[in-house]
Amino acid sequence: MLFVTNPFALLAESIPPLFMQCYIALMILAVAVGTLIDLAHKGSARYFALRRQKSKAAAQKQLGIGELVVLAIRTLGTEVATSGEFCKWARRLSHLLMYYGFVIYLVATVLMAFAYPKAAHTPVILATAWNIGALMVLAGGGWFFFRLRVDVVQERHSPFHLVRADLFIGSLLASVAFGLGWHLAQTTAGNEAGLTWILFGLYLFFSTLLFVSVPWSKFAHMFYKPAAAFQKRLEEANGSSDLPRPSNARYIVR
Amino acid sequence: MPTFTDMTKCDGCGECVDICPSDIMHIDPVYRRSYNIEPNFCWECYSCVKACPQHAIDVRGYADFAPLGHKVRVLREKEKGCVSWKITYRDGRVKEFTFPIRTTAWGSIKAPDDYDPPDAESLRSPLLAHEPAALKVAALPALAAAAK
Repeated sequence: MLFVTNPFALLAESIPPLFMQCYIALMILAVAVGTLIDLAHKGSARYFALRRQKSKAAAQKQLGIGELVVLAIRTLGTEVATSGEFCKWARRLSHLLMYYGFVIYLVATVLMAFAYPKAAHTPVILATAWNIGALMVLAGGGWFFFRLRVDVVQERHSPFHLVRADLFIGSLLASVAFGLGWHLAQTTAGNEAGLTWILFGLYLFFSTLLFVSVPWSKFAHMFYKPAAAFQKRLEEANGSSDLPRPSNARYIVR
Repeated sequence: MPTFTDMTKCDGCGECVDICPSDIMHIDPVYRRSYNIEPNFCWECYSCVKACPQHAIDVRGYADFAPLGHKVRVLREKEKGCVSWKITYRDGRVKEFTFPIRTTAWGSIKAPDDYDPPDAESLRSPLLAHEPAALKVAALPALAAAAK
């Protein structure tokens, strides 16, 4: 039942679908506004524009549209689609699990809440995708949270010693964990059970925290990362990178 | 010149935190990127600069005797066994240097944990741990008295 039922269709028996749809729209708005506030507060847009200008001035070669398109495709294929910038396979895999899990979970949530809010026969694939996406986030996020975080692994802090940098990962994990818990309670204890409502309240609280805390959390890195990766590739291609030129020597003999 | 991290390039992997002998490279609690918590205590060994896989760590002089405006960038190429430095002076001059850092493949050197722990009897031996095998010789020359 868990993997084939639409949790929002069950919820629609108690809460009007319009309420859910308004909530999702408000959260999307919160992310957009939060990212703009973050951009203005950190000066990221100004920094990128300045770096672009410097790169243009120091360019040894002007790139054509075709070369720019190739760079954009490479950025999409490497940094965006496969998190190629991570040098450790464990971090890369956990990040990919979280990234794709979150995207699948989010798309399934929006489709189920808007297209099938009351439908008894929501396509099974959507309900399954919602559950699998949430489980992927939990797996990748839990792995990162307990086994890969630098302050935990290298600095030997307790995994439960939380700092502001944990706001994003913490609220994301709590949101999907309580979401899954709520759905499990819905399908086992029933939609009206007290436990179901408690878990739903926690799910709502952490989901709101995740989307409203964008100016203080790492959420917006999803939008900055592709821009920074493209700029790095651009600088390497037009010769304006400030890194030393790759060496022609080879010292490995054994 | 102590080191500093360019947080826009750092991906928070923790290599510098791991390698810093002075334990001054830490993870920023707000952005989860590395930073040098106490440049005054930096040994200037540049282990972190060379270890950083993202080339996110640069070095700069103290502002009181080395006015800012210069730039020191490092590129480690582990498959070639070298590290290159690019020094940009305040007047625009640029100098580049490449140094060999090893002759064996990256990751081929065994860590101490990969060896069997020595037994108590080893304390009586004049040999250091894992000698002579680690030196790839059959035996080391020893004084006649010690050999008896």
